[in-house]
Amino acid sequence: MEWMMELLKSPPGLSNLSTFLILTLPVLSIVLGFVTYAILAERKVLGYMQLRYGPNRTGGRFGLLQTVADVLKLLIKEDTRPKEADRPLFILAPVIAFVPSFMVLAVIPYTESVMFANIGVGLLYFIAISGLTTVGMLTAGWASNNKYALMGGMRSAAQMISYEIPLLMALVGVVLFAGSLNLVEIVEQQQYIPYILLQPIGFIIFFIAATAELNRTPFDLPEAESELIAGYHVEYSGFRFAFFMLAEYVYLFAMSALITVLYLGGWNPIIGLGFIPDLVWFGIKFSILVFVFMWVRATLPRIRPDQLMEFGWKVLLPVAMLNIFLSAILKEIFF
Amino acid sequence: MKGITKGLAHTLRNMSKKKMSYQYPDEPVPMPDRFRGIQKFYPEKCIVCNQCVNICPTDCIQLTGKKHPDPDRKGRIIETYDINFEICILCDLCTEVCPTEAIVMTNNFELADYSRDELFKDLQWLDENDTNVREEN
Amino acid sequence: MIRTEEMLLNVGPQHPSTHGVFRLVVKVEGEIIREATPVIGYLHRGTEKLAEDLQYTQIIPYTDRMDYLSAMTNNYVICHAVETIVGLEVPERAEYLRVIAMELGRIASHLVWYGTYLLDLGATSPFLYAFREREAIINLLNELCGARLTFNYMRIGGVKWDAPEGWIDKVREFIPYMREQLDGYHGFISGNEIFLNRVKGIGQYTQEEAIQYSLSGANLRCTGVDYDIRKVEPYSIYDRFDFDVPVGETGDAWARYKCRMGEIEESLKILEQAVEQIPEEGKVLGKVPRIIKAPKGEVYVRIESPRGEIGCYIASDNKKSPYRLKFRRPSFYNLQILPKLLEGENMANLVTILGGVDIVLGEVDG
Ligand code: SF4
Ligand code: SF4
Repeated sequence: MEWMMELLKSPPGLSNLSTFLILTLPVLSIVLGFVTYAILAERKVLGYMQLRYGPNRTGGRFGLLQTVADVLKLLIKEDTRPKEADRPLFILAPVIAFVPSFMVLAVIPYTESVMFANIGVGLLYFIAISGLTTVGMLTAGWASNNKYALMGGMRSAAQMISYEIPLLMALVGVVLFAGSLNLVEIVEQQQYIPYILLQPIGFIIFFIAATAELNRTPFDLPEAESELIAGYHVEYSGFRFAFFMLAEYVYLFAMSALITVLYLGGWNPIIGLGFIPDLVWFGIKFSILVFVFMWVRATLPRIRPDQLMEFGWKVLLPVAMLNIFLSAILKEIFF
Repeated sequence: MKGITKGLAHTLRNMSKKKMSYQYPDEPVPMPDRFRGIQKFYPEKCIVCNQCVNICPTDCIQLTGKKHPDPDRKGRIIETYDINFEICILCDLCTEVCPTEAIVMTNNFELADYSRDELFKDLQWLDENDTNVREEN
Repeated sequence: MIRTEEMLLNVGPQHPSTHGVFRLVVKVEGEIIREATPVIGYLHRGTEKLAEDLQYTQIIPYTDRMDYLSAMTNNYVICHAVETIVGLEVPERAEYLRVIAMELGRIASHLVWYGTYLLDLGATSPFLYAFREREAIINLLNELCGARLTFNYMRIGGVKWDAPEGWIDKVREFIPYMREQLDGYHGFISGNEIFLNRVKGIGQYTQEEAIQYSLSGANLRCTGVDYDIRKVEPYSIYDRFDFDVPVGETGDAWARYKCRMGEIEESLKILEQAVEQIPEEGKVLGKVPRIIKAPKGEVYVRIESPRGEIGCYIASDNKKSPYRLKFRRPSFYNLQILPKLLEGENMANLVTILGGVDIVLGEVDG
């Protein structure tokens, strides 16, 4: 870590810039590796739940190279752009959508030693940055000059506003208990009891709101393929489209990791099973969450936009407030 | 919430159920005997009665006959027999009316080709298509 | 300066939820639909006109392609019309085979509806579950008549094939299996709160409106009108079976869902009785002249297809082919209420309503 600090303090220059860029490559490759196999896993899980096998032709029996092939195909596809599209915005939108998804990964602590940035307000940073992606979606919807895309973009903005609030409110409970916004500290506080047990309501609210933030079924309205065809990215093709896809799955990664950290006790082992390395514990909890997200997707129909709003404002928000209230009482009495 | 939980249990249960996928291009799909695939034609059986041409709802059969080369025998024999599979709807009527079972169905159904011209099957092709011939006609 | 404007939106002809090539021009204000105009005809093949040049037997394969989800009922309606005008007797065993095939087809058709409807609503799995059962039915019908979709099974005066050996037993085994799966569906989705919220009270109309718009099938029965041609005007041998007609009350998408799911159960009941009653032996094709000529005159018959009342009108002038043939295609009539239902609705309800009407574009366009 020493050299890292030195590097950070060194004067800006072209060589330093390139060092920084190169340093991000391992993270990028890990995340891309995850995305590749998360997409495969999703297709496999959906397939098995739907009485099919999922991809099983490219890359052996388990279709291990399927996503790689898909990405390659996307990369060599023609990059089409609608004639009347707003060119600069159209090009910028996938970048705006993707970059924040990658930036939030910086603050997630996987174990005590494997983490990238340990900033004091990690939680706040995560939530604030992740909100930016919606701007990308809205931009994409607007710039495509397509009515379906516009509706998708609008829906995504409305959805983000309504669900960001309960999401944050649910977090207040955690913050109250931990007394910190630093993710590492939050994990350390959960050494004995993970917060899912202390904050069951908060966890459920957070999980629901997170699903909405991730635009996943049953909250996949912005890209509802049976109504809006594909929503905001209907006009995108090739690698620009791949960027949206990538952003979606990187967020899945980030959200699952965040929930692991906030509610499932991060890398803390279940008492008595400490001999299993921390990273494995993190991995197990994280995988369970990812699986649950996929499982929900395999089961539920899509919710209707007006009901989505109603649910967000009339149910989730009051319950989240109640949760804060309860947490405060609990904290006063027991801790 | 009850309905959603039940649904979740249902999908989870199905995860271990038998998968329904056909391994199609790797393993052929077994078709029942009555399946209507591409026709097989027996030129020696045909008596050039034209019934199949008349019944075909899409007019996709074309045939010509000629006099029997052996002058002692009456009747005609087939000279050309073409089925245009671009428009054949595999309705089974031609095989149904044929009095001598000269045209019968087979279980072969893989017709895909790179060119439409390939779908124009002539007498020779139909004669050589002699696998999986249907038993009852 | 903020100014709002109505937006013209083309739903279709290439749209995943229009179930074929169907176009809907909607005027939306925000996400609220102000006006919807269906545009049809993309799949028009002129079956009725073509039929004027065809012999009666040759028309049967064309009817397969109208309502391609339940080709058996279409086969039946044309055969029934010709048999009525010519005055032909159909052997008993053939009638039973026809009924079994039609009811299997009805179940398969409703299964496709169930799967695609939920797919429209965003749930992907029910589609594949429903298709598993449909596959079982299709395999049965494939064994019976040699095709998976365009059966061309019925002939004027009977059916083409007798049931192969052991086939009736397979149908018998299928019934309890299907019942079990149906329970699974109900457990899986019928109680799902999101689903209920999406269909309850959506696309509602009254009895009077349904009758005025000439709706039929589940679209009519969902409002509480107890009208099923199998009961009201029993054709074939339907008077020999004991079954109920599921009737809704509310006339919304939820009532339609319940009616259709109920119909699957009733069809299973009919199948159960049919496989018990079917005579062991017997001819499957009655005495039919080699060339069928309908006497001068006209006839109209109607039967209950999965989508409603399908009718066939033949005007004949004593020739091999009809002078004029007309099908009353239920999807086409049911579609007419769509603009009224969509007015003032949210965009998201568009697919709920359109899917709930259950149209098959092959039939709408003829
Ligand atoms: S199967 Fe039908 S369409 Fe095809 S050639 Fe025979 S009669 Fe004609
Ligand atoms: S019906 Fe049979 S015998 Fe007659 S022409 Fe056709 S193939 Fe030949």
